[in-house]
Amino acid sequence: MARTSLERCSGFSATAEVIAKIGFKLFLNVVPTVTNWSADAKEFSLILDDNPLNDFCELPPKAVTDGLWYSNVLCGVIRGALEMMQMQTEVVYVRDVLRGDDVSEIRVKLVRMLDEEVPASDD
Amino acid sequence: MVVVYTIYIFDRHCECIFYTEWNRGRSPLSADRSAATAVGGRPEGSKEPANTAHAVDGTGTHLSGDSQRPLVWPTTATSTAHRVSPESPRNIAMEEEAKLVYGVAFSTRNIINKLNSKDGPQGGNPGGFMSFATNTYRLHYYESPTGVKFILTTDIATASMQPVLEMIYRNIYVEYVVKNPLFNVDPLASSPIENDYFRAVLNNYIREISSTTTIA
Repeated sequence: MARTSLERCSGFSATAEVIAKIGFKLFLNVVPTVTNWSADAKEFSLILDDNPLNDFCELPPKAVTDGLWYSNVLCGVIRGALEMMQMQTEVVYVRDVLRGDDVSEIRVKLVRMLDEEVPASDD
Repeated sequence: MVVVYTIYIFDRHCECIFYTEWNRGRSPLSADRSAATAVGGRPEGSKEPANTAHAVDGTGTHLSGDSQRPLVWPTTATSTAHRVSPESPRNIAMEEEAKLVYGVAFSTRNIINKLNSKDGPQGGNPGGFMSFATNTYRLHYYESPTGVKFILTTDIATASMQPVLEMIYRNIYVEYVVKNPLFNVDPLASSPIENDYFRAVLNNYIREISSTTTIA
């Protein structure tokens, strides 16, 4: 974000676009599609056709049955980055290519906007 | 000729995580030399007794007496790269001064946001507060999108240090502090920047700026 020196996003939908088009492109060189907006525009899905982290990876059957999401670190990254931007979110993996689905899908839900911290008062 | 006096860096929790001065002894900020308290020029020496009693996070809770907060202020004992010159007396303690500086910048930024009707609880700097000047110095302000605030005081003739502050954020802070895996970004507490590389690169950069830039 420091590299791109962008302004603050106007709303959550703008945030989604920026994550997909700029963030993912900058670090992973893929552009996921933003779809499945919920009714109140607080949730959306990122659909990844090919995840470069999965390129040389296969999961053993036990990992699949036990519920391993291989690229779950991406969810953490998105959640951490958005929390730095005062947005508390929940990010989960819904579908994953390594587990047999056709595409990978990450669902991002905005819980609330965080307030900036005010310095402690001296009285 | 740009003369940079001091730099303060505040993090998202309103704590000062970095402070350095360059020409403060000759700066108007310490004009009242007769009011110097300690002999070495620094009240309370290494600030250790004061640190344990101050709030760590924004809610005002106090640290337990034994856990010592790491020092932000360069003292002659800890800092090798940069020493506080003994001729830079202060009228108030270092922590108080940092709080005052933060308060001024914070409040001014809020006023400007309100007047621009862009105020919101999320903070940021949509109103575009850049600097203010007194008749002795000019204070420059830059806020990163993540809420890290960089404050620079220079002589009055300097027009705008926005590009400089952006460079400091993007090329020095992000490179040496954020990307340092050992720098703890605690969501609740703050920790000062104790990175020698950061300090050295910043000193070099400011020295370069002071000697080569000519502001028309």
